[in-house]
Amino acid sequence: MHRVFLILSRIMAIAGGVMLAALILLTVYSVLARALDRLFHAMIGADMAPGLARWMIDAGVGPLLGTYEVLEAGIAFVIFAFLPICQITGGHATVDIFTAQMSEGANRVLRGVTEVIFAAVLVLIAVQLYGGMMSKLNSGQVTLELAFPVWWSYAISLLGAVLAALVAVYLACVRAVEMVTGRVVLPADLGAEH
Amino acid sequence: MSDQLIGILSFPVLLTMIFLRVPIGLSMFVTGLIGLILVTDGTQVPFGRLKSETFTTFSSYSLSIIPMFLLMGHFATLGGMSQALFKAAESFLGHRKGGVAMAAVGACAGFGAICGSSLATAATMGRVALPELRRYGYDGGFSTAALAAGGTLGILIPPSIVLVIYAILTEQNIAKLFLAAFIPGIIAALGYVLAISIYVRIYPDSAGLRARVPYGARFAALVKIWPVMLVFLAVVGGIYAGWFTPTEGAAVGALGTGLIAWGNGGLTRASLADSFIVTARSTAMIFFIILGAAFYNGFLALTQVPQGIAEWVGTSGFSPYMILILILVFYLILGCFMDSLSMILLTIPIFWPVMQGLDFGFVSMLDLHMARAWEAMAAAPDITPRVLDGLREVFASGGVPDTAQASAVAAIQTHFEAEPGMIESVFQTLAAGEELTRDQIRALELRRLNQGALNGINSELIAIWFGILVLIVVEVGLITPPVGMNLFIINAMEKTTKLTDTYKAVMFFVASDLARVVLLMVFPVITLMFITW
Repeated sequence: MHRVFLILSRIMAIAGGVMLAALILLTVYSVLARALDRLFHAMIGADMAPGLARWMIDAGVGPLLGTYEVLEAGIAFVIFAFLPICQITGGHATVDIFTAQMSEGANRVLRGVTEVIFAAVLVLIAVQLYGGMMSKLNSGQVTLELAFPVWWSYAISLLGAVLAALVAVYLACVRAVEMVTGRVVLPADLGAEH
Repeated sequence: MSDQLIGILSFPVLLTMIFLRVPIGLSMFVTGLIGLILVTDGTQVPFGRLKSETFTTFSSYSLSIIPMFLLMGHFATLGGMSQALFKAAESFLGHRKGGVAMAAVGACAGFGAICGSSLATAATMGRVALPELRRYGYDGGFSTAALAAGGTLGILIPPSIVLVIYAILTEQNIAKLFLAAFIPGIIAALGYVLAISIYVRIYPDSAGLRARVPYGARFAALVKIWPVMLVFLAVVGGIYAGWFTPTEGAAVGALGTGLIAWGNGGLTRASLADSFIVTARSTAMIFFIILGAAFYNGFLALTQVPQGIAEWVGTSGFSPYMILILILVFYLILGCFMDSLSMILLTIPIFWPVMQGLDFGFVSMLDLHMARAWEAMAAAPDITPRVLDGLREVFASGGVPDTAQASAVAAIQTHFEAEPGMIESVFQTLAAGEELTRDQIRALELRRLNQGALNGINSELIAIWFGILVLIVVEVGLITPPVGMNLFIINAMEKTTKLTDTYKAVMFFVASDLARVVLLMVFPVITLMFITW
């Protein structure tokens, strides 16, 4: 069970990473395109090889439209896709200096309660994200420059949000069982291997 | 219960949750959620907010800089640049007393220029420098402390992830903050070098000696760090020169370090997947805190608590510096328990309105008039600021302008089509230390010389100065016991050194940090000298 969720989370994180890399390339490309555009226009202005410059501009070398929109849509997918791996490897920032002095039993209870709350919150986030997607779908809202439907971005983000919620529910079940039975199913520190 | 009371009570609840090891982002989220339910009588408002707020928080152009910088930092560690930086610094400094440790600090500063995270800087440089330090007989506690301190240069020297978050929270210009962090970053590195040289004089046995490297080899080693220089100049220089936005700069940097890593054979399919996973973990952690903080601060704003605190502080009669000191001390204490990012996200929305309301008198109305008048007059043909300064001195001393100066005045007069005598009167007014009159302002076609513009400028300068001070004090938290993360990371790499030995030696570096905070607080100009307004 743990392996399945871990592998799914890893695949999701790598998908997010590939998307991030694509966005980086897109952004750099748009910077270059903008610089070249400026260069060619300057060349025409200064009468330096104006034919070549005009030809390049006509060939479509110019500022990229809608980079901003694609980046915003893509980065949302990236962040949501990154959530599950953080969840399953216990990557969230905590302050554990005080609990370190408490008994193992008390820590087990704290872990149990925390994970159950976390699962509830991530389920709530996923459900409300779905709600948000439906309202964007119904309103038919599109982005300004490229005019693609806003709900698309919500839809791809939902993938990560749902997996994060599932992982959190699974972890909550494990910690709840540990809390009740006192048995150790998973190590307390999930991120130790990293 | 009034809304304000609920807002105030949320602090102890939040802190209790955090200290019970509830993840910090989750604590803020849950407190904010419950607070909103209480304040708005029901789940409709908070749940409605969630429909779009999670998405819009994550789907942010300016915040997308964070995963990009994280990936960039990871590529930088894969690129072997740490080795080249350390070798270069070692060849110049290694033969001095404590020189290898100084080289480690210098290399950390260099690495901090392409990596925005302290933990990554400490860990990467630790791997390279610790074996070398051991080889030359450096004491374990001393070596680990120097590297832990050096690692904090990662967030101080731009690019810096914490500064990005601070800029977004206070709605400031990231490029200006990066620029302002530069000199304090250099001072930090020099301060650590000084701490090292004091340490090795007090404890001469703690460091061995290393042979001097000939100059040819030194420069050969220096040449090898060109990729780092290139990436740093492209990213930070490009952002500052306005070639691209900070996000675009981060993308350029990530691609650049990625190519370096690939060129050095450090980037394989496996290590790329691993970079994605590591980036994913830290990104998700940061964004969950950002989400929780956004939710919690949304709730706080509704209860009017931050405004209430700012008003109370404003009328309390404490001096601005007193309040600043109290806030910085608070960060130092909290920094012993909490990581820097969480602290900034949790507290800046409360402290920033307080700071914004304080008057540190950076720029007066007279300064503003003078600067704008100078700018306007320098736009006239053949007029330079030097000419203007010369004219002001003449008028201040009551002398008569020479021929060249008289013709300069005439040129300005023609440029503005001003009445005869008007330009002279401008100089006389400014030389007398008075603000310009309405007629003079109109004659020079100056705009935005009102109180609002002045407040805007001062507020920006305070934001930048305060941001750098906060950055330093939260970074001190990384190297102070009991939970200095950098200490743990470095100490874990050096198995034979006891944590208490690291603790003892790191106090020298903490002292250097504190001295720097005082220096920057007493002389704001160090931070603000390159900031134009």
